[in-house]
Amino acid sequence: MPAAPLLELRRLVKNYGGVRALRGVDFELRAGEVHALLGENGAGKSTLIKTVTGAHEPTAGTIAIAGQPVTGLTPKRAHELGIACIYQQPALFPDLTVAENIALRLEPATASRRVDWRSRRERAAQLLARIGAAISPDSEVRSLSMPEQQLVEIACALGAGARIVIMDEPTASLTQKEQHLLFAVVRDLRKSGVGVIYISHRLEEIFDLADRVTVLRDGESVGTRQVRSSRGDEAGGPGLLTARPEPAEGSAATLTEAELIRLMVGREVAQIYPPSESAPGEVVLALRNVGCAASGVRDVTLDVRAGEVVGLAGLVGAGRTELARVLFGLTPADAGEISLRGAPVTLHSPQDAVAHGIAYVPEDRRRHGVVLDLPIAHNMTMAVHRRLFPDRWLRFGAEQALALDFIRDLAVKCAGPDAPGGSLSGGNQQKVSLARWLATKPKLLILDEPTQGVDVGAKSEIHRIVRRLAKDGLAVLLISSDLPEVIGMSDRIGVMRGGRLQAMLPGKSDPHDVMSAALGQGT
Amino acid sequence: MNRYFRELSVVGALGAVLIAMAVFAPAFYQPQPLLSLLTREAPTLVVACGMALVIICRQIDISVGSMFSVVSVCAGLLAARGWPLLLVLPVAMLLGALLGAFNGFLVAGLRLPSIVVTLATMVALRQGLNMVRQGEFVNMPDAVQWFGLSQSAGQWLMVAIALALLVALGLAMRHVAAGRFVYAVGTDAEAARLAGIQPQLVTFLVFVFIGAFTGLAAMMNIVQSPQVQPLSGMGLELKVIAAVVVGGVAISGGRGNLWGAFAGLLLLACVAPALTHLHIEAYWEKAIQGGIILLAVVADGVRSRKQN
Amino acid sequence: MSSSQPRNWKALLLSHEMLLLYVLIAEWLFFYFAGTTVNRRGVTVGFGTVDRQFDILRHSCEIGLLALALTPVIITAGIDLSVGSLLGLCAILFGKFWKDAGLPIPVAAFLALGCGALGGGLNAALITSLRLPPLIITLGTYSLFRGLAEAITRGAVTYTDFPAGFLFVGQERWLGLPTQAWLFFGVAAAVWLLVHRTTFGRSFRTIGFAPEGARYAGLPVERRVAMVYILAGLIAALAAIIYTARLGQAKADAGTGYELFAITAVVLGGTSIFGGTGSVHGTLLGVAAIAVLKNGLACLPAVMRLNAAEDMSGLLTGALLLLALTGSVLPKLLSSWRAHRPAPAPSAPSPNPQPSP
Repeated sequence: MPAAPLLELRRLVKNYGGVRALRGVDFELRAGEVHALLGENGAGKSTLIKTVTGAHEPTAGTIAIAGQPVTGLTPKRAHELGIACIYQQPALFPDLTVAENIALRLEPATASRRVDWRSRRERAAQLLARIGAAISPDSEVRSLSMPEQQLVEIACALGAGARIVIMDEPTASLTQKEQHLLFAVVRDLRKSGVGVIYISHRLEEIFDLADRVTVLRDGESVGTRQVRSSRGDEAGGPGLLTARPEPAEGSAATLTEAELIRLMVGREVAQIYPPSESAPGEVVLALRNVGCAASGVRDVTLDVRAGEVVGLAGLVGAGRTELARVLFGLTPADAGEISLRGAPVTLHSPQDAVAHGIAYVPEDRRRHGVVLDLPIAHNMTMAVHRRLFPDRWLRFGAEQALALDFIRDLAVKCAGPDAPGGSLSGGNQQKVSLARWLATKPKLLILDEPTQGVDVGAKSEIHRIVRRLAKDGLAVLLISSDLPEVIGMSDRIGVMRGGRLQAMLPGKSDPHDVMSAALGQGT
Repeated sequence: MNRYFRELSVVGALGAVLIAMAVFAPAFYQPQPLLSLLTREAPTLVVACGMALVIICRQIDISVGSMFSVVSVCAGLLAARGWPLLLVLPVAMLLGALLGAFNGFLVAGLRLPSIVVTLATMVALRQGLNMVRQGEFVNMPDAVQWFGLSQSAGQWLMVAIALALLVALGLAMRHVAAGRFVYAVGTDAEAARLAGIQPQLVTFLVFVFIGAFTGLAAMMNIVQSPQVQPLSGMGLELKVIAAVVVGGVAISGGRGNLWGAFAGLLLLACVAPALTHLHIEAYWEKAIQGGIILLAVVADGVRSRKQN
Repeated sequence: MSSSQPRNWKALLLSHEMLLLYVLIAEWLFFYFAGTTVNRRGVTVGFGTVDRQFDILRHSCEIGLLALALTPVIITAGIDLSVGSLLGLCAILFGKFWKDAGLPIPVAAFLALGCGALGGGLNAALITSLRLPPLIITLGTYSLFRGLAEAITRGAVTYTDFPAGFLFVGQERWLGLPTQAWLFFGVAAAVWLLVHRTTFGRSFRTIGFAPEGARYAGLPVERRVAMVYILAGLIAALAAIIYTARLGQAKADAGTGYELFAITAVVLGGTSIFGGTGSVHGTLLGVAAIAVLKNGLACLPAVMRLNAAEDMSGLLTGALLLLALTGSVLPKLLSSWRAHRPAPAPSAPSPNPQPSP
């Protein structure tokens, strides 16, 4: 009798309010396999993980673990069932030692128990040795690097006897050497019969490590492919592509890479984007070898002209938001030269940036973009205090007039300028955030994921607004993980990867080329 | 860097002060005054043990001074009525625990900021006590003095009780799971919840503990003098918080231990006698204590900034 | 627009400040009827006399000033426990400048104000430069300032024998009101304008609601935070001068425990301890409610017999603060309980999904 798969998801659906994050995902994980999960940002990978770890309950569909259907999964129950998740940002206790962090996960939470430090230390040392990590059980987690913390998480998962280990972009912050170490650990896990769900954007990792790969797109699983045949020393059923002893790595891999990218990009650029109507004018922003060690931005050279929309594509963590934060003075640059309209500038604080005519509509609307408790009018005038109230006295008339102008101009749906920002829908909040910065009459507008979590109608409205602004001579830097959007909206597309500007592509490029550059394929 | 660098540096500072005293003011080392000093600090040490728990749990309790006064007066009244000390003691600790539970309920149950809650209970308790007692002293029967022992035996007993509590609690914080839960909650309450710990319960209990300890300290207070002053606890909170913070317990929770708090307490306790022996006016004591608190906090702040 | 008009009226009449005003009126009427008596010579005594009302005003000026100082601080989601101690220190320094240094009163007062600003500046520098919690910093300076005052006076010296011209500020009336009341109202008006009518006040509120959001809006967060603590120090110094003028002496324990009454007045007045929400007129009502309570109790025959008005008002103020705090978190708490009931396993909130049509 063939063993049931470790984990089986059938037609899994998850709705958040009106948003369908998962539209029916099929997924299967066998014992002793590394199953990669691939997809664009927002394709539903994190939602999928959250349903498997019990953080969210699926709206519909079934989850079966080792053949047994499971309902009402909670984080605790998932833990008991042997599901462990290693996040990019490990959730450890920074002030406690490694040994204690591992112990708190593994020991029962009974208060009266005696703490046996020696066995805690021994167990930690043993687990860490098993994954080949050179970490002292006595060091404080605070003093560890991010990859070391991930190794501690893996040790926790090992110690808990996890059968299903989920790794969410584990190599995002690892060096080459650490990466090899991690891969060895993953291979060991596989050998011992653990099923690993491996999420990564790096195709070469997937080809290096995974047995199978499932591609998610727009909340659906669009295909599962065999990456490699089962090897002699590993147990596993016959794959779709049967025994091909040592595949000619080069050719076979390239072929599948192209196929994977096609699966990920998939859809046509069906949406109509407003056409570019402006001819680029003078260079507004000129970056020459700009870098910032603290935020990992390296050697970026880029021009943005008046009337031009320059898109910034790339995967999460590619350094796009970090570049925007450098330009807005939140994490000042420590290398290279930034010029605005030909004059070199130093941007040490947001105030500097605003004074030089740079506006930044941030990605995290609810935390950074709009103060939810303050009225719309206050939000809209927040960045123009100097101009609107030159002598520091508030002028409510002028404020209301400005707010009403923008509410009309951007068609913000609200009860009035005095309604709190938090009462608006995502799209309208975004318009308020945009209005705040348009009020500063900027020369350069940086938009960071302007349509994330925004409904379709508001999305195309925002697109039209951006086009209009460019036509009026504004230089726009558009950061977006929505591939059709960044391609459809941009006159030129910069693709970032690992803090660097990987490629500069013309507008209306083939999505395939953009994704290849973002994934670090092709040159 | 060594994990216990912070504690060791306090011990080093304490050692430096003690050596300085040995060189410049050897009179400090007479046994009787030294024992008196330790006896005076014994109740403070007991409260400091509780405060260390509270601060490790990322909370603060500034109502201990008022609780101390209230329990002192209540216990004094009971003792004056002729209740045996062995009965007064548990009653005092229970009363303290109840007062602490009230704070704990407001902080853990209603999630109010502990600083404001205990500020309010500090004043309410102090003024309530004044209202009822009108500043009247309680005269203690002789039998209560030094637990009915001779003075030096009583003093030794008191120091022994305080040290026993320190050692027991210090070991428990390290070697019993419950103690580690306090650290876990103080480091990251959300992560603690995910590890199966109930952060609200732990928070509530540390307030109960500091209340009970304050009750015990109040008992140690009333046996020391023939009269119980209603304002005996004034300013105790600052002394105790200062000792704990100076001793390396981070105000942001999760770090530090009782041994450090003990060293911090001794360091601060040496300020007053050091001032007298070194012929500096004693009025500087409070300012110096405030300065030491700021220094300790700023040192922690600079250190955590460097780490990030 | 027309549809929102009636709702605005209702919202206004049920706003925190209006509710507090009703309570204040009820409280005042209660004490007016319960605390006013006619003595044997047919003279009205107790709460209901004009003199008594002026007395209440005179005695609430210092705590009122500290409450005004704390309102912007708490609006930025900060706290300053050191204002009472700073009051004591500035009173001593003022006395010292005048008596020991022989400076004229106005110069001494000016210097004392400068010292207040410096004290606030110390708080501000430590809080903004090291990003340390204001609570622990001001707890340290609370001890430091009081300790310095004690050290300077050696616990014994009090400065007295101020000239009559100066005592006029604290003990006489000018244009019908206690002189210091004019100063108090002046500061109140200034702080009200600052908080409610200038871009500074806007920034305080924004910082209180969302410090990161304020940074992303290009507001100078550090400078604004520093400003509220320096302003608090300055106002505490003014309170010190008025205190000295009222009592005719400057002593090291001036203002002990005032910070609690000031914080209570601010929180009672509707300013959220978590920052953002709050108003200066609410604070003034809070100050009035506490002052009327304290003085009214002293006029009640039952309390007079006990001779415990001061302490009883302290007890009630502490209780009041707890009630006001509980009231402020109760709606949030209830909604979170309600929200948690259907989901047995509350999980870390994820910022990603935006349930927004």
